[in-house]
Amino acid sequence: MLFSSVPFLYYFLPSVLLLYLIAPRCLKNTVLLLASLVFYAWGEPRYVAVMLVSVALGYLFGLLIERFRGKTAAKFFLVLSVISSLSFLIYFKYADFFISNFNAATGLSVPLLEIALPVGISFYTFQILSYTVDVYRGEVNAQKNPINLAAYITLFPQLIAGPIVRYSDVAKQLESRTHSFEKTAQGIRRFIIGLGKKILIADALAVFCSAFTESDDKSVLFFWLYAVAFSLQIYFDFSGYSDMAIGLGKIFGFDFLENFNYPFISGSITEFWRRWHMSLGTWFRDYVYIPLGGNRVSRWRGLFNIFVVWMLTGFWHGAAWNFIFWGLFFAVCLLVEKLWLLPYLKKAKVWNHAYVLILILLSFTLFASEDMKMLAFQLKGMFGLSGAPLISAQTVYYLRSYAVIFIIAILGSTPLIKNTFLSLQKRAVGEKILGAAEPIALVALLAVMTGYLVDGSFSPFLYFRF
Amino acid sequence: MSTKFKNITLVCLASLFLFGFAFWSWFKPADPFSESERRALAEKPKLSLESVFHEDSEKRFMTLFESYSLDQFPLRDLFRTVKSFASFYIFQNMDNNGIYVQDGYAAQLEYPINEDSLSYAAGKFKGIYDRFLNGGNAKVYSAVIPDKGYFLAEKNGYLSMDYERFFELYREKTAFAEYIDITGALSLEDYYKTDTHWRQEKISDVAKMLADGMEIPYSSEYTENVLENPFCGVYYGQSALPLPAEEMRYMTAAFMEDCTVYDHQNGKEISFYDMEKAFGKDPYEMYLSGNLSVVTIENPNASTERELIVFRDSFGASLLPLLAQSYRKITVVDIRYVPSANLGILRDGRTSKPLIDFRNADDVLFLYSTLVLNNSSALR
Repeated sequence: MLFSSVPFLYYFLPSVLLLYLIAPRCLKNTVLLLASLVFYAWGEPRYVAVMLVSVALGYLFGLLIERFRGKTAAKFFLVLSVISSLSFLIYFKYADFFISNFNAATGLSVPLLEIALPVGISFYTFQILSYTVDVYRGEVNAQKNPINLAAYITLFPQLIAGPIVRYSDVAKQLESRTHSFEKTAQGIRRFIIGLGKKILIADALAVFCSAFTESDDKSVLFFWLYAVAFSLQIYFDFSGYSDMAIGLGKIFGFDFLENFNYPFISGSITEFWRRWHMSLGTWFRDYVYIPLGGNRVSRWRGLFNIFVVWMLTGFWHGAAWNFIFWGLFFAVCLLVEKLWLLPYLKKAKVWNHAYVLILILLSFTLFASEDMKMLAFQLKGMFGLSGAPLISAQTVYYLRSYAVIFIIAILGSTPLIKNTFLSLQKRAVGEKILGAAEPIALVALLAVMTGYLVDGSFSPFLYFRF
Repeated sequence: MSTKFKNITLVCLASLFLFGFAFWSWFKPADPFSESERRALAEKPKLSLESVFHEDSEKRFMTLFESYSLDQFPLRDLFRTVKSFASFYIFQNMDNNGIYVQDGYAAQLEYPINEDSLSYAAGKFKGIYDRFLNGGNAKVYSAVIPDKGYFLAEKNGYLSMDYERFFELYREKTAFAEYIDITGALSLEDYYKTDTHWRQEKISDVAKMLADGMEIPYSSEYTENVLENPFCGVYYGQSALPLPAEEMRYMTAAFMEDCTVYDHQNGKEISFYDMEKAFGKDPYEMYLSGNLSVVTIENPNASTERELIVFRDSFGASLLPLLAQSYRKITVVDIRYVPSANLGILRDGRTSKPLIDFRNADDVLFLYSTLVLNNSSALR
């Protein structure tokens, strides 16, 4: 079920809120668990069993690891836990990738499994892994109550698209959390803003991208606009979803960590990855990069570690070569910066941003390309090597039609709007006006977005495939 | 306003909106039909294990419920209007779901030329010609009715197909027919502002041009009648904008009283103008009773003894009453509702004779709009 859908907003969410409100404190997690299972089953009911088995294994291994903490058996159960979690992920997400590459390399024709990907499997697998590893490291105690652990792993606000919430960050809140008007208001505000990012900006840019893909009147400008539109779409799509998740978390009394921090204003690729999908970046840092030795190893081993981490980061995003190359592209960028460029980027004020934006555009062009042929087509088009004209009638039309969306998206990807709002709020008059206008404006925004949903607008969600 | 009060206001307002529309959605009786969109609305699906686990995800309870929840949302038309306003006036989108409004006229983006579709349509017409007309005595004509985009799109910066190229391609692909160019007899004002179609009272020039092309006499002596039912065309609902309703007119003449108009699909006599449909869901269906596969118009007082067979879409329904003065018999065929391969075996239910008399036809006209030719998959 998508957050940006009428069934979620006007059927599921109000029902869950009512049940949650009337449930006694001891049953609130049970309500959340049951709601999360319904939420998950809405998309693919058969895969609820897969998720529950993963949760049960995570619970069991957590207890066993704690029981034998400090002993070899703990390591054994940790390894079993990692293998079992990754087995599900590999089977459902990567099996066909490996089979098709095996077939291509050997000339054999092993049949593909052609299994539908269970929604959110990449996210909940990583949450289970972080839980059992943290229990092994002694950073958290194993959760004795299976409902609490299941509620944490399946929690619908973050189940299908993150952020990847660490058990250690919400362990206390699972036992006891506070609810208040202030926190609920914060949650509503955050949710509506996230919904706006998704419906009004990301979905509109998706229509622009579709128009480009279907166009037989492409131009060099259209290729570049597509690259910009796709980069902004994926940002607003994903950060909008994270905002909604964080907002819903607050409404239910949880505090999830931030996942995005205006990545497009970064002055280096290193900084970009500190601002983009932060929960994934820190997960790979803590559970892959550091266990591999991080940078406290030989120079060559350090380089190897970086390549491994970024190849896996790319591979996590999808079972295809373009995602692996996408990860490796960033590995190269980060290495170049680490070994040489970073000091210059830190001193620069303008060109470093241009450098980041161009690399980001190119990286998302790679991300969007299903194969190398398509990537070559895109790059040739962008650099005027495809024979397309500089500009075309369709380009002008769609640019005119989406100019306001582009402007809002570009401004919205910087802290400018937020900072303007905050500075106005600091002034007495501004505070009064904004204070009175904000609740009305947010509800009006919700009404407009309901209009977009009711009109059956185009509303795909990019991160579902991860 | 204190932060605390602001927070309470936000929680209360948002809850009121969310729970208000939620309860309204849950308990509102389902509407069977959308007047503005002229379509049946989704019904509430039945919840069962079979429907939840259905192999075909399109038939699952969840998918059907999504359609139901969208179709049956309270104040649906109002919310669609809100969306259209936001799209046009806040985000300055040039079109909303492919519909644009310019100079008060709502039109659909018809772009680009779909050559496959054009070839498909021309292939159907060529098939009819080869099977029934080649070697016969009938003169074969064709004409293309431009959609509103011909007059609106390019000069106002909307995506516009190359109409001249479109006509050229069509002429090339239907070289068996003599092409009558009617674009010179049309202007934007000849079309409804809220609908795809032309206005019958404005197309006398087109009828004259076709009559001249087919070398038959034509008189424009008709009486203009105003339909009392305000007309909201198909774009009225699709644009979801509060466009003003229009006045619909229809033309009558004395000769029409002696004509016999027969609906062979349903085996009954009808009239040129179906007043029941004029007050129905789509008033434009009043002309020759709308979408019927085969209709014949017999005029004992026609100015010639000639017979005409017309292959047409909905535009033809409003034009043909004007040509009825000149032909003793007009057979009106819509191959969206009858397979073209079966035309030879159709029988007149009244006489058991072949329904479409290709041998005795003097003229055959293929009269189609760019909208159908560019989206011709419905032609059979």
